[in-house]
Amino acid sequence: MPKHETPLLDELEKGPWPSFVTDLKRQAETKPECWDILGQLELSFKDRITHWKHGGIVGVFGYGGGIVGRYSDSPKEFPGVAHFHTVRLNQPSSKFYGTKKLREICDLWEKYGSGMTNMHGSTGDLVLLGTTTPNLEPLFYDLTHDLNMDLGGSGSNLRTPACCLGKARCEWSCIDTQALCHHLTMHYQDEIHRPAFPYKFKFKMSGCPNDCVAAIARSDFAVIGTWRDDIRMDQDAVKGYINGDFPANGGSHAGRDWGKFNIKKEVLDLCPTNCMWMEGDELKIDNSECTRCMHCINVMPRALRPGADQGATICVGAKAPILDGAQFATMTIPFLKIDPETEFEAVIEVIEKIWDWWMEVGKNRERVGETIMRVGLPTFLKVMEVDIIPQHVREPRSNPYVFWQDEEVPGGFERDVIEFRKKHAQ
Amino acid sequence: MALSSDEIKAAMLAKAEKAPKPQLYVKDFYACDPDTKPRAIKNIANDLVKEGKLMFWSSGSTTMYALPSRIKNEETRDEAEENK
Repeated sequence: MPKHETPLLDELEKGPWPSFVTDLKRQAETKPECWDILGQLELSFKDRITHWKHGGIVGVFGYGGGIVGRYSDSPKEFPGVAHFHTVRLNQPSSKFYGTKKLREICDLWEKYGSGMTNMHGSTGDLVLLGTTTPNLEPLFYDLTHDLNMDLGGSGSNLRTPACCLGKARCEWSCIDTQALCHHLTMHYQDEIHRPAFPYKFKFKMSGCPNDCVAAIARSDFAVIGTWRDDIRMDQDAVKGYINGDFPANGGSHAGRDWGKFNIKKEVLDLCPTNCMWMEGDELKIDNSECTRCMHCINVMPRALRPGADQGATICVGAKAPILDGAQFATMTIPFLKIDPETEFEAVIEVIEKIWDWWMEVGKNRERVGETIMRVGLPTFLKVMEVDIIPQHVREPRSNPYVFWQDEEVPGGFERDVIEFRKKHAQ
Repeated sequence: MALSSDEIKAAMLAKAEKAPKPQLYVKDFYACDPDTKPRAIKNIANDLVKEGKLMFWSSGSTTMYALPSRIKNEETRDEAEENK
């Protein structure tokens, strides 16, 4: 029997698509607080304003993140959601977990929370929606002792690092994303669990420029696998594709007849830098012009593979639109060897150089990408001790002035004012 | 010359006591000792939380620091309202 009348929400059950309203009603049979979620949401629809309040609680004892405090502004009317905190769990690297673990998490959440989940949050966490303050510590105890899992990041913490499937399942991965993700997660436990920065900071790792975790669009620090030698080529397999022996794109568009494979139309003409051509029946690539778009490799995976001298490009400063518009990360380090043998020392050195600078220069609630935009990329690259290369230039210059640094001018900018005035009478 | 950890802690607590708003960003503590690196200041602030002298307060997206005596959680407020 519904506790609240919800005529507006009921409209959302009428379409052909799955409805969260139906799900909540089903859940309310065992978790009556779900009626109050529906009741409060119906009120929000009527009032056209949220009735949730945020703030306060950040975690369990010793933690400064992982829990997002949420309260109803009408607790008397909706007592079931007077507290309705969100819990973020650190997902295993690449989200590799079995159904046994999923069942254990769901059982834990049925015991201590509303039973509602969000799989997965945009940072990759397993998100558990809705519990009360007294349940937080017992939940955390069972989570860490019985499930061997931990909370993720929230607030001004380092957020839970995320990575693609990497070498576990993908032949194109140029770096072991899972090893790097796990290492950074363990190395920066303090930064994940306690606030550390002016605002949030996100790591994401993709094994190749296909960037399946969208690191370049969603993370402050994106590690994207790449190579610096030539694309490896099997000319016999290229001929195989042309003769129709192998399906293009690994057969992923096989649901429809697209006609005979046309290498000119489907590969050469789509190369963004026009660096591919045919000489007779041989495919040629000017690798110095390749921009690592991955299109040719995606279309002909049997014939083309990333080069053998592999590492990663580091891009810094992506963000969603909050203060300014959304922005992609900027290519900062063109190539870095990613070496597990040295415990990823080179990556950690870059990360800490960024943090030391951003913590000093960044304003409160300013993402590192916004700080870079405010002070200018040349200043940031100088801090990073990176030599500027043409690939750092986003667009042709629109400012006619040339700014010189002190050390670039013979004698510097120091001058004897008295001597200067002798020559430049006022 | 950088202050000692105990001197910085005392300066931070004094700042948290006098600040117009109860919640402070970690950056607000940097001025307690300009010679100490921001990451070291952050670690000292987190030590004060472990000692129970400061507490974390989160808006959901940003985490701040506050003196427990100056902060009234939503729950405490709700309880107070209910008890009225």
